[in-house]
Amino acid sequence: MMLSILGQYGAANSYCDRESRRSFLKIGGMSFGATALGLADVLRAESAQKKNSNKSLIQIFLGGGPPHQDMWDIKSDAPSEIRGEFRAIPTNVPGIQICEVFPKLARLMDKAAIIRSVVGCKDRHESYQCLSGWIPDDLKALGGRPSIGSAVSKIKGAVDPAVPPFVGLAERSSHVQWSDCGAPGFLGAAHSAFKPDGPGIENMKLNGISLERLQSRKELLTSLDMLRRDIDTTGVMGGMDTFGQRALDVLTSSKLVDALDLSKEDPAIVAKYGDGKPYQYQYDGCATRNDHLLIARRLIEAGVRVVSLSFGRWDSHGKNFDLVRDHGGKLDQCLSALIEDLDMRGMLEDTSIVVWGEFGRTPKINKEAGRDHWSQVSCAFMAGGGIRTGQAIGATNRLGEYATLRPVHVQEVIATLYHNLGIDVTRTTVADATGRPQFLVDHGPVSELI
Amino acid sequence: MKIAKWLNLSVLALIACATRGNAEESHVPVSNLRIESSASLLKEVEKNKIVFRGSDARYQCLVTGNDANGNEIDLTRKATFRFEPSGVASIDAFGQVAPLQNGTTVLTAEVEGAGATTLSIEVTNWDENPEVNFPNQVVPIFTKLGCNGGGCHGKAAGQNGFKLSLLGFEPSEDYEHLVKESRGRRLSTALPDASLLLTKAINAVPHGGGQRLEMDSQEYRVLRRWISQGLKPGKADDRRVVSISVSPQLRRMLPKQDQQLSVTASYSDGTTEDVTPSVQFESNDTDMADVDKRGLVSIKSLAGEVAVMGRFQGQVAVFRASVPIVGGTNEWPEPTNPIDGAVIAQLRSLNIPMSRVCDDPTFLRRATLDIAGRLPTISEVEKYGQDTSTDKRAKLIDRLLASDDYADHFANKWMLILRNRRETPGQKSGTFAFHRWIRDQIAGNRPFDQFVRDIVAASGSIDVHPPVVWYRQVPDNFSRLEDTAQLFLGQRIQCARCHHHPYEKWAQKDYFQMAAFFSQVKTKAGLSPDEAILFAGSGQPRSSHPKTGESLKAAGLDGPPRADSDVRDPREYLVDWMVDKGNPFFAKSISNRYWKHFFGRGLVEPEDDMRVTNPPSNSPLLEALAKQLVDTNYDTKGLIRAICNSRVYQLDSEPNGENLRDRKCYSRNYPKRLSAEQILDAVDQVTQTATAFDAMPDRTKAISLPDSSFRSYFLTVFGRPDATTACECERANDSTLAQSLHFANSKELIAKLAEANGLPTSLANRTTTHEERLQELYLRAFSRKPSDSEIKPAIAYIDRKADKLEAYQDLTWAILNCKEFLFNH
Repeated sequence: MMLSILGQYGAANSYCDRESRRSFLKIGGMSFGATALGLADVLRAESAQKKNSNKSLIQIFLGGGPPHQDMWDIKSDAPSEIRGEFRAIPTNVPGIQICEVFPKLARLMDKAAIIRSVVGCKDRHESYQCLSGWIPDDLKALGGRPSIGSAVSKIKGAVDPAVPPFVGLAERSSHVQWSDCGAPGFLGAAHSAFKPDGPGIENMKLNGISLERLQSRKELLTSLDMLRRDIDTTGVMGGMDTFGQRALDVLTSSKLVDALDLSKEDPAIVAKYGDGKPYQYQYDGCATRNDHLLIARRLIEAGVRVVSLSFGRWDSHGKNFDLVRDHGGKLDQCLSALIEDLDMRGMLEDTSIVVWGEFGRTPKINKEAGRDHWSQVSCAFMAGGGIRTGQAIGATNRLGEYATLRPVHVQEVIATLYHNLGIDVTRTTVADATGRPQFLVDHGPVSELI
Repeated sequence: MKIAKWLNLSVLALIACATRGNAEESHVPVSNLRIESSASLLKEVEKNKIVFRGSDARYQCLVTGNDANGNEIDLTRKATFRFEPSGVASIDAFGQVAPLQNGTTVLTAEVEGAGATTLSIEVTNWDENPEVNFPNQVVPIFTKLGCNGGGCHGKAAGQNGFKLSLLGFEPSEDYEHLVKESRGRRLSTALPDASLLLTKAINAVPHGGGQRLEMDSQEYRVLRRWISQGLKPGKADDRRVVSISVSPQLRRMLPKQDQQLSVTASYSDGTTEDVTPSVQFESNDTDMADVDKRGLVSIKSLAGEVAVMGRFQGQVAVFRASVPIVGGTNEWPEPTNPIDGAVIAQLRSLNIPMSRVCDDPTFLRRATLDIAGRLPTISEVEKYGQDTSTDKRAKLIDRLLASDDYADHFANKWMLILRNRRETPGQKSGTFAFHRWIRDQIAGNRPFDQFVRDIVAASGSIDVHPPVVWYRQVPDNFSRLEDTAQLFLGQRIQCARCHHHPYEKWAQKDYFQMAAFFSQVKTKAGLSPDEAILFAGSGQPRSSHPKTGESLKAAGLDGPPRADSDVRDPREYLVDWMVDKGNPFFAKSISNRYWKHFFGRGLVEPEDDMRVTNPPSNSPLLEALAKQLVDTNYDTKGLIRAICNSRVYQLDSEPNGENLRDRKCYSRNYPKRLSAEQILDAVDQVTQTATAFDAMPDRTKAISLPDSSFRSYFLTVFGRPDATTACECERANDSTLAQSLHFANSKELIAKLAEANGLPTSLANRTTTHEERLQELYLRAFSRKPSDSEIKPAIAYIDRKADKLEAYQDLTWAILNCKEFLFNH
C-alpha cells in the first residue's frame, strides 16, 4: 500500500489546494525539535514497522568541497602543476585506483562505489545541494525544497515513536551553511532534523523529577481527566492521551539518549573509528568528528532513518595537500570502520552511505599550494544500501577539468539515495504549502548503481 | 424485496433523460423531471425520444423513482433493461446506452415491485464515422485517464520525455507534443494500433503508468479513429465547451443509498452532449460519500451535506446530497436571529438534534478564550456567578470586545498571517510598528474595508504608515497578489500563475490581470535598508501574459478592467473592487474566517480556499453573515457580537442523542485545542508565574508578542506559526509526543510548579481546608467548582502525600494536563 501522501498516478485528488498545511503537519513525521509527532505518525510508524524493513541513510558531507582529483580520481598523467602531491594506489577491485591517503578504504573498494563525474553542482558553499539536490533559491517563496531527511520523515515517518526519523549531528559552524544538516523546506518545521541539543533532548532525560512521581501524577490525572473524549472530532484529545503515556515510555527507555552516549559502546569499536582530534584546518567549518560516524551507526540501530553529519572543512584554497592528508587520513579510518562495522552487524545492505561535498576543486594548483572552487565536476563515494558496489562510474578528462564519461547529475545521486530508502522519485510527490504536489527531484537514480 | 418497501407503488420508475449525440429534441436536464405523479411522468418520457446521431453518441440513463416519503431515489443499477427490438442499441452495467446500428427501438426499464417504464430511442447516421475532434474528444480522454495529471505527463518536465499540458488546458500544446515531436514513434497513421500512444496506454509496451486503457473501450476506439483519420488538430472555430451541468443537482438521500450522476456539456455552437464517462468526479467529504469513475455516488453512514464535483474541460458542476438522520422525534427552538435561523433550518432538514445551551461557567470560559484569548480570572468567575441579570451573556461579550485583550488576541491572529516576522535585527522597529498599528485598528474597530485598504494600498515609510511592512515581508509582486487573494478574497490563485487552476475557472490571464495592479509598486531608499519607502510609479499598470505575451490591463477576478484615465494609485482601484458591496468574495471570505475562529470549523474548509468546487456547508448562513458585514459597513466587532450572541455559539459540547457525529452542522459546540500562545499564557495565569521573552517588558503575555520571532520552545512545540505564509494552516493545533514530554518533564514546567511565589506553593502554605484550596484551583483553571467525583480522588491524593507542597504541585500538574484545561469547549 502506498501512503496516501504519495503522488497518485493520474488520480484526480492530488493537485493544488487539496491538503492544508495543517493536515500535513499532522500526518507528518515526528520532530522532537519542533511541533510534530502526531498520533498518525505513531500509528503509521507502528504499521510501517511491520511492513517496511528499516532502510536508512548516513550522509557525510565534506563541507567546503573536497578536491576530486585528490580523492578518488588521481590524475597521474597530468602535468605536475595539476597532478599535485598524491599518487594513486590500487584497491581490492582490479582497475580501480584511489588516492594513497585512503589505504583502508582501498581494501574495502569491493563494498563501495565511486562516482568521478558528478555534475550539476553550483558554486555555493552550502550543504543544501548535497542534502536535497537543490539550492535554497528553489521554491523559496514556499519555504524551499526539503532535504532527504525531511522528505523521509514526511513520507516514511518514524520507525520507533520514541526515536525521530531524521537526526542532524553537525555542530553549528560559523559558516553556517556547512553545518546545515538538511532543511525541511516547504514540509515545515515538523520535519526538520532532530538535533541532539536544546530542550528537545533535555526533555528526554529526567529533569529532577523521578519516574515514580511522574507515574503517580499520571494516575492522579487519570482520575481527574474526565472530559468526554468522543466530543472531539479532531482526534487531538485521543492523541494527547496516547502521547502522555508515550512520554513516560520514552523517559523509561531513553533509547535515543543511549544511542548518543558513546560510553555505552564497546571501547574496541570506539577505537576502531579513531579520534578526529586534533581538529585542524577547522576555521569556520566543522571539525573532523570521527565519533559522529559511530554515533550515526548507533542512531540507525536505534531506528533513525536518516542521519546527516558534516566532516571537516575541505575548502583548501591553501595547503590543499596537507589538508587532504589530515582530513583524508581521518576519514579513511572512520569511514572504513563504519563500513566494516555495519557489514559485521548485517546492516550494510539496508544502510546507504554517501560521502561528498558541494563541488570539486580547480585542476591547477594555486600559489598557496591550494585549489580553488571548481563546480564543473565533483565526486562522490557511496557504500551500502544495496547498490552495486566495486565500481567506479564516469571519468574526467586527463586534467580533471570536466566529465568525459557518464556525467552523473547531483540529483541522480540524490535519487539513488531515495531509491535505496524505498522511495521511487518518479512517482512520489509531496504537497507544498499550497497543496501542489512536488516531486522530490527531477532526475532518476543512477542506473549503474541500482 | 427491499426496494419495494421504498417505493410508492403508484409511482412508476421513470427514465430521466440527459441526451447526447446532437439530440434533435432539446435535451432534458433531470431537474425538469422532478415529477410527482405517474401520469405526468409517462407523458414527459413519451414526449422525449432520444436520438443518437453517429456511433460516438452515448447516453447515461437515470432510472428514478419516488420513495414512500416522496423523495426521489436512484434505481439505475437496480433496474433490468431490455430493448424491443434488440440490436439497435445496448446498455452496460452502469446504465450507459450506446448505439449499435441505425433504427428505432424502445428501452424498457423494470424495477421489481415498482413496475416498468420505457423510452424511445432512434439511432441515425451510425455509419458516418465523423471526424474526431482533438480538443473536444481526444484531450478529455487524457484527462479522464490521468495521463495529463500533475503526477504524470502533465508535470512541467513531462514524464519520460513525453509531456502533456496539465489537465489538458492547452490542447494546442498537447497536439504539438503528441504529433510534431518524434512523429512515427508516438503515432502511426498507417498502423494506428501500433502507435506508441495506444500500445503504452494498454500496457502492451511497458508503461511506467501501467495500463490506463482497455483495447475494447470507447476511448481506445476514439483515439484510434483520430489517428487513422490523419491526426486532425482541430480548428480555431471548433465548438468549445461553455458549461456543464450535472443531473440531479440536489438529492435528499439516506445512508447507504447510491445515486448515479449524469453530466451534460453545452457547447459554443448551442449543441449539448452527454459526457458522463469523460467527467472526473470527486467527493468533497469522503467520510460522507464516495464517487466512482462512472459518477456513482455512494453515501456512507454520516448525516450531513456532501458535495460531489464533476470536472470536464475546465468546467465544473456540483451535485449536492443532504443525508438526514432517520427516525427520532426532535424539536428545535424557534430562531431569533439569522444565524440561528440558518443553522436550525439545516438541522431541521437533516433531522439532527441540537444540544442544549451550555451553563454559565462554560460560556464565560469559552467567550473569554475566543474573544480575549485568555482564561477568565478568578474574580471574573466569581462576579459572573453572582450576576443574576438575564442579559449577562450579552454584557460579557460587550465587555470582552471592549478590552485590551481582545485587541491583543486578534492582532496576534492577523499579525501572523500578515507575515510579521523578523529576518534581521534591523527589521524589529518595523515589525513592532506594524503590530502596534494592527492592534490599534482592531481596538478602534476600524471598518474592515479600510483596514484592508491601508495594507493592500500601503505607501510611504514605515514610521509614517506601518502597513508598508507587509510589502517588505511579502517581497515580490506575485506573492503580494497571492496573499491578497488568499487573505481577503478566500481565493488561492497561485496555481493560475503557471497553468489554469485545476479546480477553479481562473486562467493565467485572470492571474496576470490582477497581478498588474502591483506592477507600479516602487521603492526608494529610506532610513535604513530595512525601511525602504514605498510609492506608486506613474505608469499604467500592466502585465504580460506569460504564454501569449499579450499586455494585460489590471482587473480583479471577473471584474471590469481599470480605466487608464484613473489617475490614482492602481491599487486603490483594486481595493475599490475588493470592498465593493457587490464583490462576490470579500465579505464571505472575512465572514468565513471569523466564523471558523469561533467554531473551530469554517463554513468553507480550509477557510481561505473558497471555490465553486468547495461549497460552504451552509450557504444561507454564509450569505447571512456576509450580508451583516456589508450592511454594517464591515463592522467586525458587530460580526463577533452577532456570532457570540447566537444560540448556536452558546451550545454545549455535550451531544444530545444523534448529534455526536455531527462535525459540520454546528448542532453542538466542537471543542478546540487552545493555541500555543493561549496554553502558555493559561499555564502562567494558573500557576501565577511569568515567562520572559527576549527584551520585552516583564509579564508580557505570549499572545501580545508583536512578531513571530521570539524564541520559545514552548510556543514552537505547541505549534505557533512562524508567519512565513498567509495561511492560517501554518498553525498546528495537534498533539505531539514532544508536547507531552515538555509537559511531563521540562525544566520550564517543573520550575513553574516549584516557583516560590507560584500557586502550588501558595496553596500548600494555606491553612484553609484542602477542599477550599482545591476549589480555588478549579476556579482558576476551569472557571467552575469541582464536582464530588473530582473532590474525592483529589483530596485522597493530598491526604496520602506526606509532602503537601509535592501534593499541590502534582495536583496542579494534573489539572494543567486535563483536556478540560487544554481545550476550549
